Formats: sequence, structure tokens, C-alpha cells
Amino acid sequence: MGVSCVYDYPVPDGRSGAQVVDVLQKQVETMGAYKTGNFHIDCETYQSVMLNSPKTLHILHNSEHPASCFAILDSGNTLVADTLFNGLMSNLKNYYQARKGAKIESKGQRYQLADFVLKIGSVSLAGSFKGILVEVEYSPSLVAMECWNLMKELLQSIVGNIAETPPQTLKPRMDETFTPTMAMLQYLEHFNNFRNKAAMSQPAR
Amino acid sequence: MNHEPVQTPTELIQASIHLIQKLRTGVGQVFKDLSDGISEHADENSSKEETDSTAASSSTKDAAKDKNSTISSQNQKEGSGTEKSEDQQEKHRAILRTLKRSLETISHDFSDLEKTGGHLGPVHMLSNIDYLSLDPVDKNTVMHPQLLQAYKWTNKMHELANQAFTVLSQNSLKRTQSPFFTSAKKQKGSLPVACLVPPVAVDTFVHNLDQSNVDMSISISRPLGSCGVMQIDLKRTLRAVVVLRGLMIEWVKVKGFDETFKTEDGQIDIWSSSRYQVFQKITDHAEAASLHYYAPAKPEIAIKSFVLWLEGFSTLFSAPCHKCGKHLQNNMPPTWRDFRSREPFHDVCRM
Ligand SMILES: [Zn+2]
Repeated sequence: MGVSCVYDYPVPDGRSGAQVVDVLQKQVETMGAYKTGNFHIDCETYQSVMLNSPKTLHILHNSEHPASCFAILDSGNTLVADTLFNGLMSNLKNYYQARKGAKIESKGQRYQLADFVLKIGSVSLAGSFKGILVEVEYSPSLVAMECWNLMKELLQSIVGNIAETPPQTLKPRMDETFTPTMAMLQYLEHFNNFRNKAAMSQPAR
Repeated sequence: MNHEPVQTPTELIQASIHLIQKLRTGVGQVFKDLSDGISEHADENSSKEETDSTAASSSTKDAAKDKNSTISSQNQKEGSGTEKSEDQQEKHRAILRTLKRSLETISHDFSDLEKTGGHLGPVHMLSNIDYLSLDPVDKNTVMHPQLLQAYKWTNKMHELANQAFTVLSQNSLKRTQSPFFTSAKKQKGSLPVACLVPPVAVDTFVHNLDQSNVDMSISISRPLGSCGVMQIDLKRTLRAVVVLRGLMIEWVKVKGFDETFKTEDGQIDIWSSSRYQVFQKITDHAEAASLHYYAPAKPEIAIKSFVLWLEGFSTLFSAPCHKCGKHLQNNMPPTWRDFRSREPFHDVCRM
């Protein structure tokens, strides 16, 4: 597991998500990347019921770490457990309840390019398409500070100028040894943005 | 037919096969002549039956099928028309002559075959491969051609290895002390200096090396007997194992910082390669460097220079290429460090 950067790739007006994903896939294939299967990241959000100050708990899964389950509080506190934790959550349903229609996921094709892993995912919230997340991982390096400039060169040839700076979530932790959780925090950040956008657009209708 | 006394077994076999084919044609001809004769005779019989229907006895009805009876009836009938019978007799003689000729050809061919066969010795099988080629079940499999291919390949490799040996034996720079590759004289000269350093001295040397390098942690263990295995961790960038014989570098492997040189049962694994292309490349370069810095007369300086060179990789992911100024070339960072200046270069950007 190396350093990962996740970016929200904008879908221009008048084009469908599938079209943009297709263009991105063609692009990385031209660069020499080859398919190494599918990937899948999902997030379920739970709300506390009994507490005076309500708390939110996000449960994330990543196909890259199929035996793990990431539990993240809004404060950023994270617990990495094995998948039995899912069962524990159903036992806690008197305290934490899943927010309805909040299940969000990103899935798509996984690519390998030398020591890079590229993931082009379509995000869907409760089944409807919301956007595209592009993840680039540089597996041999463990410190974002060291390999950022190197990753930037590759990132910019895929997603362009969006990758001018490191992802917001990663910025304060550039010198830390990278962990899978740091990738999940980036995904959570994007998932929350997509949800907020969806919530904002709904009352306007 | 005209056998020269000296013939290879293959030629003999080919000649025999040819003769057997000839013999078969001959025998075929005999049978054809015989059947011609019989059908001719049957025709005569049946036509006679029609013409001499009144004179013919009732026994001729099954004439065509029963040879003996036809012959006897024929004899009876011959007297009736002399002109006709003479004509027939001429025909019979012609048939008999043809038959005789065919039979003579057969006996001639047969004696030829016998002669040729006499020269044939038993076929000596060389190996199981030859039996395999005869196995009719194996006709459908590719085993035999594959074996032949492998055999040819091995021969070729042997030939090339011999050529390589000739070329390499002209080269005086040798690291290996095997008596197969070096003369006994040289062996005595170079062995004590680099290889015969006592383990305690090596341990002390490595300990000092560890103290003097801030970015590296270097430790030594001896899981393989007297050979020291130096394990180097460079910052959070890479890990390396260096196998030492005395103070001579024998083996180098480089892996990522999240990889391990330990097997599942805790042994040191010096063989397996990194799963990352970048460290596989660096392993190749480190092997080249261990040869470049090789100095049997001053082994300590050789190792120090090598370790210093390896330390240059602390900027593996952060330093751009000194020549092209980029980080990535073929999706790889600069994996080469210059031997003198330690400047980073892409593999393809070296001069
Ligand atoms: Zn270069």
C-alpha cells in the first residue's frame, strides 16, 4: 500500500458520466495501463439516536482491503476492524441507525501502470450517478511528501490541473507514513461533498 | 537392386521398403492375372452352355461356381467344335504365360529382398526417446517434437556456454575463487585480503558503518554460517540485504520499505525480488555498483563506497532526473545514481 490521491473529476455539462469515464479509460490505456479487475468502495452512514449531541458514524469498505472495515467518526477518529464489525453495527441499532438513502459508493475499473495503480470510479448515491472519482496510488512510496511531485506528473496527465495541489485531506499529513485509512478519509470527504450537493439541489426542485 | 557393399542402415531400410512395395505390386499382378483367367473361363463356359444347351449335361448348371466340374465338362465339350477350342487353347496359353511371367517377377523380387534383408542388422535403439517416437498413442501428442526441440536447445546452449567460457577466460578480472575459473596462483594471492576477514572484525566494521550513517540503519547477522548478511534500512524509502563473504559483497537485493526480507518462519530470505518494478531496477543497478566498487585490496573502502552510493537513493521519489529534469520517464522515477556524483538519472537518461 503506497500513497494514494483521490480527485473529483468534473463531468462537463451536456455529457454523461459514462461518456467521461470512457474517455478517461481510453486515456489511461493509451498511456500503457492495463486492466487488473474491478474495484469497489462503499460508505454507509449511521446516526446516533440516544445521545444528546448527535454523532455521525461512517462505515466504509474498500475492495483493496477486502477483510477490513473502516469506521470513521466525524471528528476523524478512525477504527480499522475486520468485517465482523458489520455484524456489531446491527446489534447496536438501538444506538446507531443507518441514515436512509445515504449509501454511497464508487466503483469501476482498476488499472496498473508500472508501479502505479489507477482507479476510475463512478459515484452513485442511493443508485443514482453523482460524479467521477479518480484515484492514483504510487505503491512503492510510503510518504506523500517525498513522492508528491512525482505523482503530480502522472496525475496531471490524467486529470489535468485539478491535481495542482495535494488533496485537502492529505495536506496536513504529508510527512506521515501513509496508511489505508488516509485513502478512506479522502473518499469520505468526497462522498460527503456529493451528499451535500445532492441535499442542496433537492429543496430547489 | 544394385547394392553397393557399403550402405548405411537407413539406405538399406529404404531399399528394403522399396523392394517390398515392388513385391506387393508383383503379387497383386499375379492375383489379377489369375482372376482374369478364371473370368475368361467362366465366360467361355456360360456361352458354351447357351450354344450347346441340348448336348450339355445337366451337371453344368453351376459351372461357374464349381471349378472341377466345369473343367470336366469343358473337356467333354472340346470335341464338339475344334476350331473354337483351338482358339480357346491359344487364349489359355497366353493367360498361363502372363501368369508365369508375373510369378517369375515375384520370385526375382523376393530373392532381391532376401539379399537386401540379409544386410540389415537389428536396429539399435538409442534411448527411450526412440521408443516414444514409435508409440502410436503418442502420435497425437506433441511430446516427441518438444523433446527433440529441447535437445537441440540444450546442444546450442552448451555450444554458446563453451564460447562464452573462451571469451571470459581471456578476461583477467575475476571475483570467484573457484578453481574451475581461476588459476591456483591467483587464488592464493586474492583470497586472504578480502575474504578471510574474521567475523568479529566484520561485525565491528558494520557497527561503525551504522554509527556513521544517520539516514541508514545497518545490522548484521549470520544465518547462513560464516557469511554475514547485512540488512540496510534507508529512511522510509527502501530496504536492502547485502551478503558478505569476509568483506566482499557477494549478493545484493533491494526491496520497498513496506516489504520484508523475512520468510514466514522468521528466516532471512535473500532470494525473493521486490514486487515493485522500481526496486527490481535498483537491485540490478546495485549489483552493477557492487562490481564497480569492488576493490579486493581495500575491501573496507569498497563497502563504504557502495553504502554511500546506496544512500543516494534516499531521494529516490523526490529528486528529479539530472538530465531531463523530470520525475517520471516510462512511469518510473530516476532509478540510477551516478557512481561519482550520486546524481539521479533515469535509466534511459544515462550517457
Ligand atoms: Zn531523465
